[in-house]
Amino acid sequence: MTRLVGGVTLAALAAGLVMGFGIAPREATQGNVQRIMYLHVPSVWVAYLAFAVVLVASIAYLIRRAEAADRLAHASAEVGVLFTGLTIATGSIWGKPTWGTWWTWDARLTSVAILFVMYLGYLLLRGMIEDRERGARFAAVLGIVAAFNIPLVHFSVYWWRTLHQPPSLMKPGPGTMPGIIVTALLVNFVAFSLLYVYFVARRARLLRREAEAAG
Amino acid sequence: MRRAFIVVWKDLLVERRSKETLNALFFFALLLLFIFQFSLGPDRERLAGTLPGLLWLAFILNGLLGLGRTFVVERENDCWEGLLLSPGDKSAIYVGKLAGNLLLMLVVEAILLVLFAFFFNLDLGGALPALAVVIGLGTVAFAAVGTLFAAMTAQVRARELLFPVLLLPVQAPVLLATVKATEAVLLGEPLGSVAHWLKLLAAADVVYVAVGVLTFDFVLEG
Amino acid sequence: MPDNWGFVLAAYGLAAGVLLAYWRFLARRERDLRGAAERNRIAPVSGHPGPEPASRTPRA
Repeated sequence: MTRLVGGVTLAALAAGLVMGFGIAPREATQGNVQRIMYLHVPSVWVAYLAFAVVLVASIAYLIRRAEAADRLAHASAEVGVLFTGLTIATGSIWGKPTWGTWWTWDARLTSVAILFVMYLGYLLLRGMIEDRERGARFAAVLGIVAAFNIPLVHFSVYWWRTLHQPPSLMKPGPGTMPGIIVTALLVNFVAFSLLYVYFVARRARLLRREAEAAG
Repeated sequence: MRRAFIVVWKDLLVERRSKETLNALFFFALLLLFIFQFSLGPDRERLAGTLPGLLWLAFILNGLLGLGRTFVVERENDCWEGLLLSPGDKSAIYVGKLAGNLLLMLVVEAILLVLFAFFFNLDLGGALPALAVVIGLGTVAFAAVGTLFAAMTAQVRARELLFPVLLLPVQAPVLLATVKATEAVLLGEPLGSVAHWLKLLAAADVVYVAVGVLTFDFVLEG
Repeated sequence: MPDNWGFVLAAYGLAAGVLLAYWRFLARRERDLRGAAERNRIAPVSGHPGPEPASRTPRA
């Protein structure tokens, strides 16, 4: 079953690449470097998806104490951190030729950076607790706090950057972009989401097998 | 609710007798001021620009120290099992601890404010009420999450490491809001101009305390 | 406007590298686990006859 998902994922990723490089046009102001967006934006969307799943799984675990929910939360957090890191890295690489600097405290990068360290802390917490049940409980609580913090992060960072200051370059909203670019973005988003599902499924399965092996 | 009061009262009594936490935090606050001054140089103008940030940095560093210990005292004195075994809703313990921590932090912050005004020759008079609002809202947020996380990390090895690592990222939006609001207030602007920040802080307070009350039971299980 | 293909390549290359590395991490862990389970079935650690779950897999 996982193999099937993996196969479909590969196909979708290939489609995404084709869209991003072959079919999507060269952007007028930034040139071809803008194509990094087809990596950067789907990455951040998937990261948010991952952390939403962490929230739901955390609540489910606390209510029902189902080990499967705990494993889902753990796996999703790990993959989420992966994609968050990727978002930051691709955003930085995109920023260098575009803005002339590797790092800037613009709204999206800052928000994502905060997200990154929050959930990295989540993984750290899990790593430092040997007792499985306690680790699951604490991680669930942290997962809930972190998720509820996300809107607070968003608003605070956005106001921090845009009040008394013109909004920065980023935020290519779908409404302002030509249709073909939006389509390419969506194809890549689907591909990345499939990749997320594939990774989480395998990671959760690995966790289950590790738990079984430890008896 | 009554049990929450008992918890606060107990902590206050312990503190009044030993005064160890308050004294240590006060001393730490003084040291922080020295360090800020030394590391940023004697240039008054440059310091004045970063004052709101420095103030909250001091609050946070002090808070980390004080909050990190809030459950350690129970563990050190073998009262931890007593906490775990207490019947009924454990969230009363959370509220009690939160209230105690809030009080402690506010006292230390007041002292820090006085020290800041002294060392940097500030005239806080007119801004004081507005400042109090901002500091109050920000401290509740900090204490709410801090108390919850302190209860968690008290049961984990390497707690001194994990506590700030977990708390600081979560507090990032609160820090942004409080520093911006403090900045405006110190410049003499009315509270209305930072209403959005205050609303954010109030929302954060509600969310954090609610999550704390709802999840504390899960943190304090055997 | 220079095209900066180098940066595009760097970004996509980095993404591919990271995702591939994670995939290999998953595969390797699964393989280790499966190998350990096989070894336990064939030669149980405790010496008793029959398979028995053991808990000595060294975790990375």
